[in-house]
Amino acid sequence: MSQKRGFLNHIRPHGVSEKAMSFGYTFCLGGVSFLAFIVLGLTGILLMFHYLPGAKSGYASVTTLASVIPFGGLIRNLHFWAGQVMVVSVSLHMVRVVRTKSYRPPKEWNWLVGMSLLVLTLVLDFTGYLLRGSQESGAAAAVAVHILTLLPGIGRPLAQMFLGEVSAANSSTLMVYVWHCVALPFLALWLQMFHFWKIRKDGGVRPL
Amino acid sequence: MARDWTRRDVLKMGKGALVAAGLLSLYPLTRYLGSREDAVASPIISFKGELKKGAPWQNIPQTRVWLRRVSGGYQAILATCTHLGCEVRYYPEQREWRCPCHGSVYDEDGRPIRGPAPLPLPRVAVQPAGNGSLRIDTSRKLN
Repeated sequence: MSQKRGFLNHIRPHGVSEKAMSFGYTFCLGGVSFLAFIVLGLTGILLMFHYLPGAKSGYASVTTLASVIPFGGLIRNLHFWAGQVMVVSVSLHMVRVVRTKSYRPPKEWNWLVGMSLLVLTLVLDFTGYLLRGSQESGAAAAVAVHILTLLPGIGRPLAQMFLGEVSAANSSTLMVYVWHCVALPFLALWLQMFHFWKIRKDGGVRPL
Repeated sequence: MARDWTRRDVLKMGKGALVAAGLLSLYPLTRYLGSREDAVASPIISFKGELKKGAPWQNIPQTRVWLRRVSGGYQAILATCTHLGCEVRYYPEQREWRCPCHGSVYDEDGRPIRGPAPLPLPRVAVQPAGNGSLRIDTSRKLN
């Protein structure tokens, strides 16, 4: 028998316990989150073709996208709703893990990975809200900057690094754009792959 | 004769459905990617209707332009708050413009009197265009 290597072969488990196969054990919440993430990635790439960050162009390009570009409204709404679904399903997934006590050894490291993914999901959701460039986004950006600068010493550099020159009048900066569209999603994707692989290693649940 | 559906048959059907869905999404995709950014909308707005002298500001539907007739001609104002760009409304009883977002208030002539608005509401050029209609050029700001 030939030795199969590579990530995809690693992710197939040797065996799966019958209990873990039952729908009521996981409610597929992690799977739903991953599906939402894939939808977000695909529609996000499509949105990038027509979206322009910036004080003047952010909100205007979203409006154009949603009202003028053919199927733009559909793609924008898919992105928005997949984002909403992901925040909800990721949170419920965490509740499920607590309920089935799946955070206990040997799965304690994957719990921490999951926590990081929860934070990433919320930050992605928040930066997406900023990129809409509406007045509420501006207010949210101002609040975020003020909260971050409460951290002594590192607050201001952190705000500069993650949000750029955001203000009440401009939340859709290039900084927020790159974090939201490139850096954070790839980090989340990488962590998710690790998360799935670790599930198998720890005696995992349902096969994909 | 009833067909025996094997797991492979069902999976094959699923694969076919995926391919079909992929092909069907090509049309909206090409339309979406192939569309031009919107051409600049015309800044010119025309209005045909009656404006009584001394009557309060009157909105041209679907636009942010409001008009009134004063002695000596017409005036056009843009109902865009100078604070953060929300659409303001004119309240004829109070003779005030009010912004729903952050509570800016402007007097009848569009000068800011309360709230965060720093500047008066923009006035734009308006002139009769013959045939009884008015021609408003929102790109020509007067203040």
